[in-house]
Amino acid sequence: MPHIKNSSHPASSIQDPVSSQHPASAVKALVLTGYGLNCDHETAYAFELAGARAERVHINSLIDGSRRLADFQIMAFVGGFSWGDDHGAGVIQAVRMRTTIGETIIEFVEDGNLVIGICNGFQALVNLGLLPGLDGDYRSRTVALSTNDRGRFRNDWVHLKANPESPCVFTRGLQQLDLPIRHGEGKLYAESGVVDRLIAGGQVVLQYTLPDGTLAGGAFPFNPNGSVHDIAGICDPTGRIFGLMPHPEAYNHWTNHPGWPREKETRKRRGLPTPSGPTVGIRVFQNAVDFVRNR
Amino acid sequence: MPHRLEIALKSDLPDAEGEGLRQKAKDYFGLHLETVRTVSIVTLDADLSEDQLGRIREEIFTNPVIQVSSYDPLPIDFDWTIWVGFRPGVRDNPGATAVEAVEDLLGIHFGKDDAVYTSQRYCILGDGLSIEAMDRLAGELLANDIIQQWKIFERADWDPAVGIGWIIPRVILNHTPTVSAITVASDEALRKVSDERNLALNPADIPTIRSYFLDARVQSERSREHLNEPTDIELEYISQARSDHCNHNTFQGLFRYRDVGTGREEVVDSLFKTYIETPTRRLQAEKPWVVSVLWDNAGVGRFDDNHAYVITGETHNSPSNMEAYGGAITGIVGIYRDPMGTGKGSKLIMGSFGYCVGYRDYTGDLKPHLHPRRLLDGVIEGVRDGGNKSGIPTTFGQVVFHPGYMGKCLVFVTALGIMPALIEGEPADQKTILPGDLAIMCGGRVGKDGIHGVTAASETFTENTPAGHVQIGDPYTQKKMHDFLLETRDEGLIRFITDNGGGGLSSSIGESARFSNGCHVQLEKVPLKYDGLDQWEIWISESQERMTVVIDPKNLDRFMALSRKHGVESTVIGTYTDSGKIHITYDGRTCAYVELDLLTSGFPQWKFDAEWYSPDIRGLFEPVTSEPDRYGQLLRDLLSRPNVCSREWIFRQYDHEVQGGSVIKPLVGAERDIPSDAAVLRPVLDSSRGLAFAQALLPAYSRIDAYHMTTCTIDEAVRRLIAVGAGLDHIAGVDNFCWPNIQYDPVTNPDGTFKAAQLVRSCRALKDLCLAYGIPLLSGKDSMYVDGNLRGTYGETHKVSALETLQFSTTGVVDDISRCVTLDAKAAGDLVYVLGVTRDELGASEFYEHFGYLGKNVPHVDPDSCRELYQRLTRAIQEERVASAHGIYRGGLGVHLAMVAMGGNLGLDIRLGELPADQPLRNDILLFSESAGRFIVTVDPTRKAEFESIFKGLACACVGRTTEKPELTIAGTDGSKLLSVPVDDLKEAWKSPFQDL
Repeated sequence: MPHIKNSSHPASSIQDPVSSQHPASAVKALVLTGYGLNCDHETAYAFELAGARAERVHINSLIDGSRRLADFQIMAFVGGFSWGDDHGAGVIQAVRMRTTIGETIIEFVEDGNLVIGICNGFQALVNLGLLPGLDGDYRSRTVALSTNDRGRFRNDWVHLKANPESPCVFTRGLQQLDLPIRHGEGKLYAESGVVDRLIAGGQVVLQYTLPDGTLAGGAFPFNPNGSVHDIAGICDPTGRIFGLMPHPEAYNHWTNHPGWPREKETRKRRGLPTPSGPTVGIRVFQNAVDFVRNR
Repeated sequence: MPHRLEIALKSDLPDAEGEGLRQKAKDYFGLHLETVRTVSIVTLDADLSEDQLGRIREEIFTNPVIQVSSYDPLPIDFDWTIWVGFRPGVRDNPGATAVEAVEDLLGIHFGKDDAVYTSQRYCILGDGLSIEAMDRLAGELLANDIIQQWKIFERADWDPAVGIGWIIPRVILNHTPTVSAITVASDEALRKVSDERNLALNPADIPTIRSYFLDARVQSERSREHLNEPTDIELEYISQARSDHCNHNTFQGLFRYRDVGTGREEVVDSLFKTYIETPTRRLQAEKPWVVSVLWDNAGVGRFDDNHAYVITGETHNSPSNMEAYGGAITGIVGIYRDPMGTGKGSKLIMGSFGYCVGYRDYTGDLKPHLHPRRLLDGVIEGVRDGGNKSGIPTTFGQVVFHPGYMGKCLVFVTALGIMPALIEGEPADQKTILPGDLAIMCGGRVGKDGIHGVTAASETFTENTPAGHVQIGDPYTQKKMHDFLLETRDEGLIRFITDNGGGGLSSSIGESARFSNGCHVQLEKVPLKYDGLDQWEIWISESQERMTVVIDPKNLDRFMALSRKHGVESTVIGTYTDSGKIHITYDGRTCAYVELDLLTSGFPQWKFDAEWYSPDIRGLFEPVTSEPDRYGQLLRDLLSRPNVCSREWIFRQYDHEVQGGSVIKPLVGAERDIPSDAAVLRPVLDSSRGLAFAQALLPAYSRIDAYHMTTCTIDEAVRRLIAVGAGLDHIAGVDNFCWPNIQYDPVTNPDGTFKAAQLVRSCRALKDLCLAYGIPLLSGKDSMYVDGNLRGTYGETHKVSALETLQFSTTGVVDDISRCVTLDAKAAGDLVYVLGVTRDELGASEFYEHFGYLGKNVPHVDPDSCRELYQRLTRAIQEERVASAHGIYRGGLGVHLAMVAMGGNLGLDIRLGELPADQPLRNDILLFSESAGRFIVTVDPTRKAEFESIFKGLACACVGRTTEKPELTIAGTDGSKLLSVPVDDLKEAWKSPFQDL
């Protein structure tokens, strides 16, 4: 494979502050924890920044009924290594949740609520069958997230393009975004008929691109895992269930972006202030909160 | 009846693991394999119905989109197939999670003898492959015979109905737990038992042990417990507690240091007290941010009014040397338990690594157990899985190659945590135990694994070192326990907590018992992985992922409820007392009854003779060379050297952003590929405060003088923090010593006294620099036997000793993360400054090593002038006068100008004539000297005056500019051009050695 240079982030890649008012409200987000999940704190923090009230809830507390999904409007399957990811990422988490509260989750979705699955959470969603949810079937596995083509875990930042035609509520108003990826099993694979339907239905939400915004075309490291059609994230046909490999919650502050010291210096010389306010990562969560608030 | 499920990717999908193996076979052994397909095997050793087996297959172990599976061998074509599975008793993490999944799915509970075992089968196609080649592939790439077994089948031998056959690696001991009495009739008799049982008792300790057990008062007390001679469990306890690993006998030793050149003699009574404890206590008194040092599992510093950070570091050398992956993952997961067990417990926020190994492309005659290439691969993967699966970012790390590490590799692991300042109004860093409190073991179960790990770490590695101490860490189990313990901590349930690491319960209970002055342990309550362990084995087993937690009995129900919620096993195993004794019973019978005081008094101090032969006396000299004239090629070649070139392939495998607080990442710059001076985190997400972290390793300088190795290492670790924006007013240190054996023996260690002198000098330097820079040592560890005996060509062995090595870690607190800077040049037309004085200090430099020289002029640190310079640079960064800052480290100015240029993808136009130097020096010396205390800084020209005024009167000179054209151009002292190399070419040279990894 030819050595492809990894070129710099354009100065514009750090989003300008978005000024919007988010008064305290009753939008409540449930953030799963336990069994090796590990992005629960920052995902809860991201929801809080977005104006929601977030609660970290252990998987077992949902199962034993001590916390009720019905008390929330947004459910987040977060990143991590549930059950060590030993038998396929997200597989055992999906088994445990399907056999205990699978139907409760489907009711939650059918009641018009939102579900986001990030990284390991995305892997759990496709193993549960909540994604891609073709024809409203939230129980069948038709998409897989398999071992990266390079065969191992990778942490890097990627450029992404959001699909304006997608019904996905989480990416409304977003066009291009930079986010970190951190996974060993993120190669989206499905039979070609399924991929065609995902494309046709606008269910392909995020795709990996080159720095200039054109599709990565499978080129490493821009497409870090070999995903078909450069797919980084998909939604169900309603747009209310969203799964993605990149981590929006890990871009919760402008200094999370690897280009920030360069961006800051550029701004300083132009007499511009340093960025503040929500990053593009937080806007993913704001979209969810806004959707719930306005529905 | 067992059931064997084979799972593989559908045949039309690429198999990344198989492809990786095919590539490695070619790269490592020149073996051409056509294709490799991997088959995962899950062996279910339980009674299950057809229907249950079908659900297990379909709903857990087979992804219908990409996989096929069958309870019969899968018909995948091969010329050879190699099966690899664990040996009995080796931790099988996927097997354990498979049990959880099956129990969940079917709503059943596995019985005591039911289990799931995982293994792999590799289906290999290729022409002309021999059984020998397959055996090599199995033994040197796929498996390590210490923990794994394998079987090789040729196409013709394969019975498609039978497949690999039935291999159930269940541990069956058929042994009734027995306590044995051991004779103390004579010193000689006890020494013999010590050797036979691998107790590793120091011969000097034996009389003290005997006199204790022969004491009339002790005997009378023991007789009431029906004990007479010491039991095996008692002696194992004493041996463990007295081991160098746990007791630091070397650092507590008495050193008679003699400078052979001057004849001057000095006696140092305890390196630890003299050079570590005393200066740290002094600094603690001066610095209110030092919260807790020198007693707990890790040190604690204040982060802000509401939080404290926790840090410690250690090594896991011996186990990694035997089984790289298992040793390294056990090491990183193990160090993470130290901050968890500090104060009332802290949340883990960061880890780092340091690897010292032989050259990756070693082709010499020595035969280490693992080739350095394989060893490094395994260590990298072990820390990767251990860190990533713990959900803790690995944000910093270093690798040093040197042949001396072929005897034993070094694997440094460092962990940072954060805790609230107060829990329920009480300081979180404090803890104690009251008589009547319950001792609870949380986390994993106890098996034979790790027995005598501590004593093995205190011995030189030989072919006969027992392999039983090799383990495989289980980050999943530990992560669950971590989340559980933090919840119990925040509810105020934890009175005391400590980890079970080296020495197991013997160490954790033995040490915590001092807080209440006694403990009664009911050993039969300890949950076991399998039956048949002797009592002494339960007591000292180092089975991983366990913490000892102490609670008030009134909190037991709540504690256990939370334990169940988190899927963590917790068991009350005893009660703390004030009896002054460690009292162990098994089914009501006393098997150990030892006074706690025994271990803190009466044992003889270790003694060492140290003889210092100065570089002059050793006849070291500077090489005689003329100035080169092909500087461009020289710089490229230096950038390609193993100890300079890019390690990007390692950093990218490590999750360095989990927890969402990454500020300065391990790789920075326009193309995110240049190693940062330091890492910066935002550990409290809603605060703009940062925690900066860096490390340094410069063992090469020990070849001249370990004093200067130490001062330079500390200076580099400090300078790295200064470069990103931390200030000297808050820098904490962690020292990790790894030294070859210093006990003189005329036959086996003839240079022991010299190595002892190097250690004394190193410790002295540690004290000198820490006091000069004001660095309290929050934590530190030593590992003293970094030697190995390696087989050669003719059946002979060679003792290989490591360089005297110190890893120094530093942390600093940054008030405002947005003021931090990175090393990459930011804009064309900026001014380039060098701060600090360049001297003729090429001794043991990368430049001399490139030519095979050692030299004599090792860099010296002048802490007084450095301190002033560093304070000014901190001010310049705080006032935002600096666009980039980078320390000048190994390789010298030339190499680090290249880093600044490559980082910014910009050119630099440099004139050496302007460089601050202590005397007129030749261009090659200016470019490659490794003088300490220096930085490269770039500055917006509009800030020139303010910047220069800050450094007035100090060594600071503008040496050039950054340029739009990405080319590094350097003119010599007379103005003539020395080199002009495109930045892309520099990067190509710097990345090429490991770019295919």
